[in-house]
Amino acid sequence: MINQEELIKYFLLESEEYINTIIEGLEDLEHRGYNKDTLEALYRATHTLKGSASIVKSNKIATLAHKLEDLFEALMNDEIEYESSILNVIKKVVNVIVSLINELSKFKQEQSEIDDNLLRLIEDIIERKISYQPEQVTETYIPMPMLNSVRVDLSHIENIFDILGEIILNKNIINDREKELRSLVDEILNSGKKLFNEITTFSDRYWLTPLDKTHKVLDSFFTDFSDLEFDRYDEYHIFTRKIAEITNDINEGLNELILFFDNLSSNFKSLTKEINNLRDNLLMMRMIPIGRLLNKITEAIKDIAQGLGKKINIEIKGSDVKIDKPIFDALYEPILHLLRNAIDHGIEPPETRTALGKSKIGNIKINIKKEGKYITISISDDGHGIDIEKVKEIAINKGLISQEQLAFMNKEEILSYIFAPGFSTSEEVDFQSGRGMGLNIVKTTITRLKGTIEVFSEPFRGTTFLIKIPQSLTISYLLIFSSSNLEFAIPINYIEEILLADDFPEVKRDRKINHKNRIIPVKIFSELYFSSNGRDKDKGYIIIFNFSGIRKALFVENILGQEETTIYPLGKFLEGLTQYMGYVISSNGVPRLVIDPLRIFEEEFNFTYATTTHIFEGTTYSRTVLVVDDSISVRKSLQTLLESKNVRVYTAKDGVEALNILENKHVDAVITDLEMPVMHGYELISRLRKDYRFKDLPIIVLTSRGTKKHQEKAIDLGADGFIIKPFDEKTITDLLAKFEILKNFIY
Amino acid sequence: MAEEIKEEKQFCVFGIGEREFLIPKEAVIQIVDITRIFPIPGSPDYIVGALPVRGKIIPAIDLAKVYNVERINYADNKLLVIDVDGEKIGILSDITPFFVSFDKDIVVDDYIDPKKLYEELKVKQPTASNKTNELLP
Repeated sequence: MINQEELIKYFLLESEEYINTIIEGLEDLEHRGYNKDTLEALYRATHTLKGSASIVKSNKIATLAHKLEDLFEALMNDEIEYESSILNVIKKVVNVIVSLINELSKFKQEQSEIDDNLLRLIEDIIERKISYQPEQVTETYIPMPMLNSVRVDLSHIENIFDILGEIILNKNIINDREKELRSLVDEILNSGKKLFNEITTFSDRYWLTPLDKTHKVLDSFFTDFSDLEFDRYDEYHIFTRKIAEITNDINEGLNELILFFDNLSSNFKSLTKEINNLRDNLLMMRMIPIGRLLNKITEAIKDIAQGLGKKINIEIKGSDVKIDKPIFDALYEPILHLLRNAIDHGIEPPETRTALGKSKIGNIKINIKKEGKYITISISDDGHGIDIEKVKEIAINKGLISQEQLAFMNKEEILSYIFAPGFSTSEEVDFQSGRGMGLNIVKTTITRLKGTIEVFSEPFRGTTFLIKIPQSLTISYLLIFSSSNLEFAIPINYIEEILLADDFPEVKRDRKINHKNRIIPVKIFSELYFSSNGRDKDKGYIIIFNFSGIRKALFVENILGQEETTIYPLGKFLEGLTQYMGYVISSNGVPRLVIDPLRIFEEEFNFTYATTTHIFEGTTYSRTVLVVDDSISVRKSLQTLLESKNVRVYTAKDGVEALNILENKHVDAVITDLEMPVMHGYELISRLRKDYRFKDLPIIVLTSRGTKKHQEKAIDLGADGFIIKPFDEKTITDLLAKFEILKNFIY
Repeated sequence: MAEEIKEEKQFCVFGIGEREFLIPKEAVIQIVDITRIFPIPGSPDYIVGALPVRGKIIPAIDLAKVYNVERINYADNKLLVIDVDGEKIGILSDITPFFVSFDKDIVVDDYIDPKKLYEELKVKQPTASNKTNELLP
């Protein structure tokens, strides 16, 4: 059970509110006289106070609150006549309650005894035995205990979370930029080192070579000296010396830059850590131990069990696990429902249990565990379990599954049909196995919380419901993937596994896979969202989803990674697009639509609108060019030039990087240098031409090697064009226009 | 002078293809240069996509699709961001939008009521029928 101290803490917070309401109400009565609305508010406040007090086992407060409740009720219903003098008695009682609350705050329990006379006095008033004649003393209120906490409006916290979402977004941007900066710094450092080496070796060599004979000093003054006697400081020497010195300075500067950058990036790292810390702490602020919820429910459940003549024992483990307030609120109904079902239909009456050799008392176990970012709640009973034959029968009768489908289903899957809409109606409630009532609503609620529910059952041994929900709703964990040059995200909470499509070569034809003895239907993302044109790659991934025991799979071409972020709603204007849960913005500012996994697999899911992805080519990047060159300045200048012409540009330092990019991105043309480290241009061209996917890809060579020999070799290997450095804008644009890369800009 | 201004109503003029439209100045909150529009698969054809502006996205509407305007090119595209009941939506304009004033009593053709436009073009739930082309000025 949840620890008493924690409960008291919450009670103190709550009671403060009730006492305030009561005091305000009393003051109102004092000034305005009899008022039914005020009395009703007082009645409600005392009623709730009574309930809360009994949860923390503060029986005295509960008794007093109960008495006040009765009194207010009697006044409200005009059973007794209202006299302002009654207020004094009430104030007295309130003061006793407040002093008891103070004791509770200090000693964690009630200490003083209640004055029986006071209780009797109220009873007498209610039963109209006496007309109360008060001594004219005005009671002043005792102050409530000082608490080490403040109550904050949930909307304030929501605001903070919105801001936090922005901060996390910016943090992600900084992190990405930092990586870019790092590679830039590395590159500059490498070039700097190269420059330094070149110059050092050059000047060293030059230093040692004797002066050219033709370079004879003609000054007659020096003719008497031999060559070796000269200080060889001609202009060239001085120049190399200077260059060496400058290079040295640059090198020094670069070393400082590296040092500075290392510091900066460790600052970034600690900032990231602190932001994560802040987020976790803020999340905790909104979290409530689940035990409070279970306490409320189990009290209610015990009453129900008693009413049904069943004896139960509820065992709760992990009640100190905390969950987000909105989840806490939303879980009440589903858990109550499951427990009520367990008692109604699961646990047998004592006689039956004895006959079955079970203990008379039915056991319900609620086990809460935190698993990473998720919380699992398992609710098990040791009742007679769900009759799987009955489930089959109902599912077939209702047309939810066909006889043929049934043959392929395992037990779990069949059981999961108890959650199906329309599985059960009220008429089945009385069936012992008819546990279906309202389970669809339970599942819908859990699903709305981005959670899952599964059921396991053993005949005569019992049933277990396993709920898995995220601990917080604010931050979502998403899988990022791309299709048709657009990026998408999908919540990972339903994802069970991701498989390589290579292992299922027939997936696109069969639209299903056989995995771990399950036949799982597969949908193809690009077909659903782009009515794809059939020239898709066969490479890709199969994402397996588990929706409360029912598995479905989605084929996507490219997975980019995983991210935690806040999902923004699409807004009212686009809310008809129910296939999306909202959107997120990537760290480089690219919006990613968040796919609702539940919608994708709805059989009738279909776009009513014509899919229009390329209607606006003029403003999206029209074409994509890959620039391969080991010189950063060439890459940057080409990138700037082409991007100004609305061409998307990818860049690579060498052939290997280029091949990697080509593997993952769609590219319309390649512009490549010939001499590069790791893999040079000739090899890149020959490799591309050998690959059937790239055999028609336009390749333009951009090189400072202008000889015919180089040109011929490149053309032989399969290059389509040749540009000699330094290049001018027109040569490039003309050539690209020839390959229709820039055709959109003819007008 | 002050009185004269009172008598006038200010509009924002934007263009699609050969046509020009007017929208009340008060509705316009921003004019954005279009760098890249991200298509939203499954949206009606008049929604060309979404444009990220300061960490939020704004849906971009192409009225050419709504009014059947033919256009030759997209050379100088701007997005006219308007506010309808606190929500931002964008309308593509082939010209840089500018502001004009008219006499209050003049009835203008090609006038666009932002609220009406919003309601007509709002993406309906997929079950509803979508006849948006009936929207004519």
